[in-house]
Amino acid sequence: MCEASIMRVAFVGKGGAGKSAIAGTFARLLARRGQPVLAIDSDPLPGLAFSLGLDRDDAPLPDEAIEDRPEDEEGPRYRLRAGLSAADAVDRYAATAPDGVRFLQFGKIRTDPRTLFRSQITFRQIIKELPEDRWHLVGDLPGGTRQAFTGWGGYAETYLVVVEPMAKSLLSARRLARLALAGDRPVRVLAVANKVSEPGDAELVARRSGLEVVASVPLEPAFADAERSGRAPLDVVPDSGAIGAVSSLVEHLDRQPLRRAPS
Amino acid sequence: MKLAVTGKGGSGKTTTSAVLARTLARRGHDVVALDCDSNPNLGISLGVGDDETERLVSMRQALDEGEEEHAPAWDQVLDHFGSDAPDGVRLAVVSRIDNPEPGCL
Repeated sequence: MCEASIMRVAFVGKGGAGKSAIAGTFARLLARRGQPVLAIDSDPLPGLAFSLGLDRDDAPLPDEAIEDRPEDEEGPRYRLRAGLSAADAVDRYAATAPDGVRFLQFGKIRTDPRTLFRSQITFRQIIKELPEDRWHLVGDLPGGTRQAFTGWGGYAETYLVVVEPMAKSLLSARRLARLALAGDRPVRVLAVANKVSEPGDAELVARRSGLEVVASVPLEPAFADAERSGRAPLDVVPDSGAIGAVSSLVEHLDRQPLRRAPS
Repeated sequence: MKLAVTGKGGSGKTTTSAVLARTLARRGHDVVALDCDSNPNLGISLGVGDDETERLVSMRQALDEGEEEHAPAWDQVLDHFGSDAPDGVRLAVVSRIDNPEPGCL
């Protein structure tokens, strides 16, 4: 596959802006174009699994994939078991969602913190060591501004800030835009206006966030109902305007790939 | 009364906190509203506006960058890093903002 055609995107934005619903739909529509897609949820309060159409939202790495790092070796306490590459780990342990999307999860906040910790540290190793050209990456990051552009989201080259046309969401988008520019690596930051209901909403998002708006997703009760019932909007309301808008977004980004800087 | 409001992103923590704070204040209580979110928006919901909300956030950020001195006591924190919101609520931003790496890793 041509390297320039690989997309590495991460959805960011205020909690509740609609990151998971849009990211899950985006990943599946991208996969329908016939290319391998890895969807990554790095939110400890996860939501991406449901938007992809999986029926469980807890898929941490199994214990057998992980081992303690030897004491004489530098690095985090746990690592992938010897001989298991990041790509192997995805092949073996990532869940498979509809349309063939592979799905990797950070690990849900759950009762046994030790299991979670092992899974999370190893998850981080996997996303750092993923091969450059094997999968399109579609990430769903935790809400807010705290870790958008470094740490868990470091694999992305294009950040899509999901913004509702509401005061708190707009302010969060402005902060995210500012943080992106302050970072030490070049990234592309674009806005997705979500739950748009008035003619001037997309314009408002562009003006207040200072970002280019590349998609405008309408507010639709049927789409919200799908989310409420924990089902993938793509399966419940495939012909909605919201799905159409995400489909156009996939096409738009596919036409304007960002070549990764040589590392 | 000391209340903490938590929940998943987008579930309405900030809005609930603001309404609780102003309702308590209207009933005659002295109320301090603390924004502990790393993406602090409580000022918007309390009604102090965009600019004042951002001013408090930049004060808090200046602390991380060493451009502001820490306040040694709680009343000085409220005084220096706080703002008056409607109904007499005193708002302060006390969040951790600028450390994007999760602390435990």
